[in-house]
Amino acid sequence: MKVEKISRSPLEELKRHVGVIQEAFKQAVIPDRVTIEYPRERRKYPENLRGFIVLDKSRCISCFRCAQICPANAIQMSYFENFYPGIDYTKCIFCHFCVESCPTGALASSTLHDMAFKSLEDMKVKPNQMMRLPAAIREDVQSVEYDVTKKGWRLIRKMELEDIKVVRILPKLKPRRAFCLEPESCLGCRQCMEVCPHEAIVMERCEITLEGQIVGKGCVLKITEKCVGCGLCVRQCPMKILSLKEVE
Amino acid sequence: MKEFHLDIPVEPPKELESLFLPIPREYVEDTYRKDEFLVLVGPQHPGSGHMRLIVRVKGDIIQEVIPDPGYVHRCVEKIAENRLYIQNIPLVERPSIMDSANFNLGYVRAIEAAMDIEVPERAKFIRTILAELCRIGTHLYDAAILAVFIGHTTGFMYPFGIRELICESLVRMTGARFTSSFIVPGGVRRDVDEKTLRWVYDATFAIEKRLKSFERIFIKNPTVIARLRDVGVLSKEEAIKFGVVGPFLRASGVEYDTRVVEPYEAYEELTWDIVTADEGDGYARFMVRVNEVSQSLSIIRQCITSMPDGSYISEQIGEVRGNFFDKFADIVLPAGEYTTLTEAARGTLLFTIVSDGESNVPYRMRIVSPGWLYLRGFMEALKGERLADLQAIYGSFGYFPPEADR
Amino acid sequence: MISTLFEIFKSNMVQIPLIQPIIDYLMQIPLINFIVALILWRPFFAVVIIPGLTVLLLYLLYIVWFERKLTARVQWRVGPLEVARPIRGAIQALADGLRYFFQEAIVHKEAHRPYFVQLPILAFIPILLPIAFIPAGNVVGIKSPYAVQLVVAFLALIPITIIAIGWASNNRFAFIGSVREALIYVSYEIPFIIAVSSMIYLYGSGDPYVAVEKQSIVPGAIMNPIAFLVFIIAMLMATSRLPFEIPEADQEIAFGPFVEYSGMLFGLVMVLAYEKLYVMALLFVILFLGGWSGFYCELLGDLNAPLWLFIKTIIVISILAIVRSMYARYRIDQAVRYSFSWLIALSIVALVIGIAVGWIV
Repeated sequence: MKVEKISRSPLEELKRHVGVIQEAFKQAVIPDRVTIEYPRERRKYPENLRGFIVLDKSRCISCFRCAQICPANAIQMSYFENFYPGIDYTKCIFCHFCVESCPTGALASSTLHDMAFKSLEDMKVKPNQMMRLPAAIREDVQSVEYDVTKKGWRLIRKMELEDIKVVRILPKLKPRRAFCLEPESCLGCRQCMEVCPHEAIVMERCEITLEGQIVGKGCVLKITEKCVGCGLCVRQCPMKILSLKEVE
Repeated sequence: MKEFHLDIPVEPPKELESLFLPIPREYVEDTYRKDEFLVLVGPQHPGSGHMRLIVRVKGDIIQEVIPDPGYVHRCVEKIAENRLYIQNIPLVERPSIMDSANFNLGYVRAIEAAMDIEVPERAKFIRTILAELCRIGTHLYDAAILAVFIGHTTGFMYPFGIRELICESLVRMTGARFTSSFIVPGGVRRDVDEKTLRWVYDATFAIEKRLKSFERIFIKNPTVIARLRDVGVLSKEEAIKFGVVGPFLRASGVEYDTRVVEPYEAYEELTWDIVTADEGDGYARFMVRVNEVSQSLSIIRQCITSMPDGSYISEQIGEVRGNFFDKFADIVLPAGEYTTLTEAARGTLLFTIVSDGESNVPYRMRIVSPGWLYLRGFMEALKGERLADLQAIYGSFGYFPPEADR
Repeated sequence: MISTLFEIFKSNMVQIPLIQPIIDYLMQIPLINFIVALILWRPFFAVVIIPGLTVLLLYLLYIVWFERKLTARVQWRVGPLEVARPIRGAIQALADGLRYFFQEAIVHKEAHRPYFVQLPILAFIPILLPIAFIPAGNVVGIKSPYAVQLVVAFLALIPITIIAIGWASNNRFAFIGSVREALIYVSYEIPFIIAVSSMIYLYGSGDPYVAVEKQSIVPGAIMNPIAFLVFIIAMLMATSRLPFEIPEADQEIAFGPFVEYSGMLFGLVMVLAYEKLYVMALLFVILFLGGWSGFYCELLGDLNAPLWLFIKTIIVISILAIVRSMYARYRIDQAVRYSFSWLIALSIVALVIGIAVGWIV
C-alpha cells in the first residue's frame, strides 16, 4: 500500500486550515475530555490488574519459590514461626512472577496500585504487613469507568466508591510431597535435611560395626508426614534424585 | 551569492576541551578554521532526548552531525548473563517500554526456537494482538514526541490520550499497562476471555474515531506539513546503504517487513498491507506510521474475529499458574546460538542468545535494536538541513535513546 | 500650587453617575479629595486605571489563566485547577506571579549585568507609552490626531528591547533567539504598517475619534476584510504566538532571548508578549471593531467607552488564544517567506481596497 501524495495546491492548504480551525473550535465548545481528577475520583480497574500483593499466611508453605523467581530480587523471606515472604517495594516491578509461582495460592494480587510510603524503610513491607491491604486515607468521592463502544470513548462517573478487591485464583494443584527417586544414589550429604524448614526429612542411622556388619538401612532419607511439598530439598539435592509427587 | 571571509585566527572555545567529546581535537580546530561552528545539542536540551548531538553548522545549514549516544546505556546484555532465562523477560522489555510486547516476543521466540516448543494457535493470536497493540502505542508515542518537537502541544496531548485506550486494553488482557511480561516460552501466561477480546475489538473502533480528531488537528495541519515536507530526505539507495530499518526504510520506498519476509506468530494467516511511501522525507516517515496504525487496528480486529479455540500455552509446558517456578526456573537451553528477527514498532529487532548447554543463564545475549540500526541514516538525513529542522527530523525518526543504547 | 493642580484635576474629572454620591462625599474631605480628583482626572484615569495599567494587570492575570484553561479544554485536559479549586483555579496566574516574585533572580557571570537587569523594566516604556495615546471616548491620556501612527511607532520599539535582552544575556541560544526576533520583526512590520495605513486611508485620518465615528454603521472589519486578516496575522507574528512562536521556540532554542532569566525578571519578560498583544488588540478594536462604541448605560457615564473598549479587546484576545492549541511552529525561513510573499501581497491589496473605500465613503 502506497501512502497518498500530499497535495501542494494553495486551495488544499486553505481547506486544511479550515479543518484545523473547525476541529479546535469544536473541541473548545464541546471537549472530548478524558482527564480523571485522580485523588478525588478513581478509575475502575479490571480485576486482573497487577497491584499490591497480599499474603495468606495459613496457605504459605515457605517454599521460597517467590523469592527465587523474583527478577528484581525484591522478595526477602523473614522468619517468624516459619519463613514468609516480604516484598521490598523499592525494587518490585509488579511482574507478579511470584504470584504465578505460588503453588498454594498464598500470594494473591489486589487492584491496589497507588501505595505511598513514608520512608524508604517502610517500603520494605514485612510479611505481617502483607496479610491485609494497607490502611488508606481515601479522598475519592466518585468512581470513573471507561465506556468504550464502537461509537467512541467516554467517561462515566458514578457516585460510588470503587472497592479494592483481592483476587485470589487458586492453582489447580493437588498437595505434593517430596519423594526420593533413586535412594541408592544418595550421597548422604544431608543438605536436604538442613534446608528443610519443617524438619520433615530424617536420616536413618547407619553404622558399620567392627565385624563389618551394616546396621540400619544406610543413607536413605525418610520423609515424614510433616512434609508440605515445598520442594526446597528437591532444589537443594546435588544428585537431583528428589522430586515432588502429587498425593491423594 | 559571493562569500566574503576575513582572515581572523579563530580559536575553538575553551569549553569544548572539557566536555569529553568523542571527536578528536583536530576536528574541532579544523571546524573553527573553516568558519564553521560546533553546536552541542543535548543531553539536557529540551529537544534532544537523552543523547548528545555534535552538530557542525555553517551559518544555519548543518554540515555534519556526530551522535554521542550512550547516556542511557543500562548494560541490559551484561545483566542478562547473570539471570535465569525467565528472569530476563522483564529485563528485555525495559529498553523500550512502549514496545514491550515486541521485545518480549523476540526474546521468547529465541528460547522457543532453542527448546523446540510448539506454540498453540490461540497463544499465537493473543501474542499478535499484544504485539500490534504495542506497535500502535509506540507509533502514537512517537507522533506525540514529534508534535512537541515542532511546537504543537495539542498534537502531543491527543496521542497520549488515545494511548490510554491501548494501555487499558493491555491492562484488561495482561494486568499491566505496559511491560506486562505476558509472553512466556510456550504461549502466554493466562487465557484472555471472550469479554475482554470484545472490549478490545470495540476499543479499536474507539481509537479510530479519536484518531480522526488527531488527523484533522495534527496530521493534516498545514504548519505540520510545511515543517516536515521535503525535510531530511533519504532516497531509496541511501536508505538501503545506511541500513535504515522499519517504517523509515519503507518510507523511502523499500518494501521490507520482517513480518512478511520471515513470518512469525499469526501474521501469515492475516491479510494486511506493507505501507510504503516514495518521498523518503520527514512527512512520508510520519505518514507511513500513521497508516501502519490503521493496518495494525485491522490486524487486531482480524485476530479477534478469527480467534481459534484451544489452549493458551503449549502442552509441553502445561498450566502456568502455580507451576510458574517449576516450569520455567530451570530452563537450560541446548548449546548453540539462537537468533530471531522481529518487526518491532521502530523496525527490525534482532535477538541472539548463545547458550553453553549447561547453565541456566545465557552465555551471551545480544540485542540489536532498531534505534541503533537507523541511527546512521538519521545522522545522514540531517546533512544539509537547517538547524531548526533538527528537531523535526529527530521527531520524524522517532529516535528513542533508551532503545538504541539498551 | 496645590490648589491650582486641584482645580486642574477637578475641572476634567470622569463623570460616573453610579458612584457620584460617594465621590461627592469624598470631595468634601481635605487631602482625600485631592487623591480622588487625581484618580478621576481623565488623563490619569486613562493611563493608570482603564484602559491603562490597572486593567492591564487584571488582563494579564486573566489571559494567562484563560489561555491555559482554553488550551487544556481543546486538548482533552482540565488545566490549572488546584489553586482555588471552587473557582476552577482562576487565581493560578496570581500564584505563578507570586512564585516568580519570591524566586531568586540569578544573574549569571557572562551577562552584561546592568543591561540584563534593566532591560526587562525598560521594555515597559514602549508598552506604556502607546496606552497614553489610545483614547476611550472622553477618557484619554494625550489627545492627538496622529494617535494611530504614534501607537504603531511605539510598538516598533518593543523588538529592539527584546534584541537588546538577547545581547545582554550573552548566551548562544539567546543570540539565535535575538537574530530570529530581528528577522520576524522585519517580516511582520511592513505588512502591519501597510495594513494600518490602508485603514488610515479608509478613514481619511489617523485620529481614533474619526475612525470610530466612521465605523458607526459598518465596522472596519467588513469595510476592509483583507486588512483585517493581515492585521491578525501580523499580530500573531508580533507577539510571537504559534504558529510564529519562532524567537522563543522552547524545543529548539529554549525560550531564545529569555533563556537566562529567572525569578521576577523572567516574570517580567514573559508577560512582555502579552502586554504587546494587549496594546495591539486595543489598536485592532479601534481600527476594525468600532472601538468604544456600544450600548450606552446611563449609570456608568464616562466609564462606558473604556469598558466597551476593554471588553472588546478581551474578547479579541480570548479568541486569539485558541491559536496556541491549533498550530505547530513554522521554521524561520518559511515564516519570512510567507510574510514577504503572501502577506505583503495581501496588505497591498488591502491598501488598494482601503483607498477605494475611503474614496467612496
